[in-house]
Amino acid sequence: MDTQTVAKKALLFDSTRCIGCGACYSACKERNQLPRTAVNFLSDNLSADTFTVVNRRNNRYVRRMCMHCNEPTCVSVCPVGALDKSSAGPVSYEASKCMGCRYCVQACPFSVPQYEWDDPITPRVRKCDMCRDRIAAGVATACATVCPTGATRFGSRDELIAEAQARIRDNPGRYVDHIYGLAEVGGTSVLMLSDVPFETLGYRTDLSQPLPHLTWNVLHKLPTVVSIGGVLMSGIWWITKRREDVRRAEREENGTSSSS
Amino acid sequence: MLKIALPRPRITFWRVILVIVLAAGAYATFLRFTKGLSATTNLSAQFPWGVWIGFDVLCGVALAAGGFTISAVVYIFHIEKYHPIIRPTILTAFLGYSLVILGLMFDLGRPYNVWHPLIMWNPHSVMFEVGWCVTLYTTVLMLEFSPMVLEKLAWKQPYKIIKSITIPLVILGVLLSTMHQSSLGTLYLIVPHKLHALWYSPLLPIFFFISAIALGCAMTIFESYLSLRAFRKHLDFQLLTRLGAVAAVTLSVYLVIRLTDMQSRGVLSLAFQPTYEGRMFLAEMLLGVVAPIIMLFNPRIRNNEFGLFVAALMVVLGFVMNRINVAITGMDQSSGVHYFPSWSELSITASIVAFGFLLFGLAVKYLDVFPPEDMKKIARGNRAQLPALAAFRAPLWSATTLAFVMCLIFMGGTVVLSYDGIRRRPAPAPLVEGSGVVDISHGLAELRMPEAIAIKMGPTSPGQCFFSHARHVKRENPNCSACHSGLFRMLPTTPDITPDRKMRNCGVCHDGVKAVGILQEERCDSCHLNKSAGLARS
Repeated sequence: MDTQTVAKKALLFDSTRCIGCGACYSACKERNQLPRTAVNFLSDNLSADTFTVVNRRNNRYVRRMCMHCNEPTCVSVCPVGALDKSSAGPVSYEASKCMGCRYCVQACPFSVPQYEWDDPITPRVRKCDMCRDRIAAGVATACATVCPTGATRFGSRDELIAEAQARIRDNPGRYVDHIYGLAEVGGTSVLMLSDVPFETLGYRTDLSQPLPHLTWNVLHKLPTVVSIGGVLMSGIWWITKRREDVRRAEREENGTSSSS
Repeated sequence: MLKIALPRPRITFWRVILVIVLAAGAYATFLRFTKGLSATTNLSAQFPWGVWIGFDVLCGVALAAGGFTISAVVYIFHIEKYHPIIRPTILTAFLGYSLVILGLMFDLGRPYNVWHPLIMWNPHSVMFEVGWCVTLYTTVLMLEFSPMVLEKLAWKQPYKIIKSITIPLVILGVLLSTMHQSSLGTLYLIVPHKLHALWYSPLLPIFFFISAIALGCAMTIFESYLSLRAFRKHLDFQLLTRLGAVAAVTLSVYLVIRLTDMQSRGVLSLAFQPTYEGRMFLAEMLLGVVAPIIMLFNPRIRNNEFGLFVAALMVVLGFVMNRINVAITGMDQSSGVHYFPSWSELSITASIVAFGFLLFGLAVKYLDVFPPEDMKKIARGNRAQLPALAAFRAPLWSATTLAFVMCLIFMGGTVVLSYDGIRRRPAPAPLVEGSGVVDISHGLAELRMPEAIAIKMGPTSPGQCFFSHARHVKRENPNCSACHSGLFRMLPTTPDITPDRKMRNCGVCHDGVKAVGILQEERCDSCHLNKSAGLARS
């Protein structure tokens, strides 16, 4: 986790350019072959059948989807490695490994992973996989391909960061001076620009540190604790046994008079 | 060989309850595995872990705390006088872990993959560690438990082998359960933004571990007391008294560390605010920690069978409350939903508990769980030296009923507190959609509609037809999803659009009602170009 390679690909979402047309929403459904879940897409939420949504917040249109963190919490908590962060950026899920503990659903700071609660035997965790196969084939994600205004752009993360910085620099007063996802939870592969503070759009702004360290700080001590503990207990066992043996031997020497 | 004489079962109050609980649980099990979690639980993406994790797993694992505490005392520290209660605590621990695994079978979405952590490693995951601990420690407990069965079967060789590896087993067991108790706390370290500050602490693993030791003592007292009464077996009461003292000391340490930690993080004042969380926290600490400490430090109460029993019961309930608070109460505010377990969740939980009682009862009846030497001592007349049972001579059911009533009061109190809390909680600030028209001028300035799309011509086509986005979409309010939700693909696999035979796709809208009808239209050339006109209109 500490030596995670820097993500190469990313998405840049500029909320000032979003016109709320729902092209990304529909293209995502189409690419992932998901059924219709809402009459009005603007009021839809993330679910097992919806991997990205466009919502209206504070008089803006904003997208929600998997952030594809550089140090993904979901990947770190998955006990079987069913979630994986590829070097190209996408965090994707492999259902055949999953045992359905839903720790990823619990732990994700963006509340992204969804679960097939209806399926009694083979439920899957569902979320955006950043069109992993399309990226591998050298094509942009479905949402970025269809976006008619360039509000969602796909590209290399470094280039998109440069572009986001350029947009902020070249349009004074249009943006708040912050690229969401540049540093949040250690950086994400989805970057966002806005003209109003991000918390008013429903994005968490209290996530400065990558979360996997919180548990790793404890977990990496375990081998030490176990070896010291094992030695310590064996020692105590030996000492108390020896004391017992000595006492017994003394008792036998002195006869039974001194013991009670 | 084991001789089991099965008498005709008597119908008693508790047996009827048992059968009802198990029957309801069986029905809920059927629903769980045919309809899924959404139909049987109140779990959701906002609240993915409910009572099965909060109670069945967190508290089930803690049942084993008596096992590792007493094993360490006897085998590692050689305090031999606790030898007589080793077996009941090992039995409880083994049952606890077995029931945890049983509970997981309900909670896990794909229970048949429960073994995956053993081969698919992710050492960064706490759940991975938990999986390994459960597997290894259940195995260790099974080995520690096996002599009780082997001696009955009179299999000498395996019995000897198991006996000879007792010490390494115990050391392994203590290490594993230490790791496991604390790792259940570590599970929640990853959700600092979700778990309420009254419970979230970087020291959670340590709190889980220390409280498990106190619980281990309390559980040993509780179960020894009940089984002694139920099975009319006798045990040196002084042992339980001393365990009570140990529990009191451990709980005091726990209390001091916990309060110091909260003070240093500046969240102590949250406990005294009139919120649901504040009251649940106070209830947990006052009833489950402070009150038992006072009771157990008082020699008169500690040395009184009834007093000790009640104090132990309060420690157990306080512990359960702590785990429920971490898993459920503390998650309530951040989740945005009010989770309360469904009847299926509760009835499966109740069945698992009832099943545990049943197995414990059977084991005590048919295996030598309580030491036969003790019985001999009593036969030799040592019984007179045991503290009199005078304080609480009522029959067994009064103790059980007391425990039952206390549990009911505890659960009722929780429900009342949560109900009241839910009503009084100020609503979380809703996400503001904003009013008025969204300013999309920046976006419209950038808007590029797709170019006219040439629809492939069929053999009978009167001429090339183009679809123009610009003519069909309102620029000020482009709703792509209106047409692109199933009807028209956005991500063509081939560059060409397939021929629209008989103009069916266009006809969906151009039916003469929603838009100009085309099938009755006689002027084909309003859409189809004459061959001579070429691509002029693109």
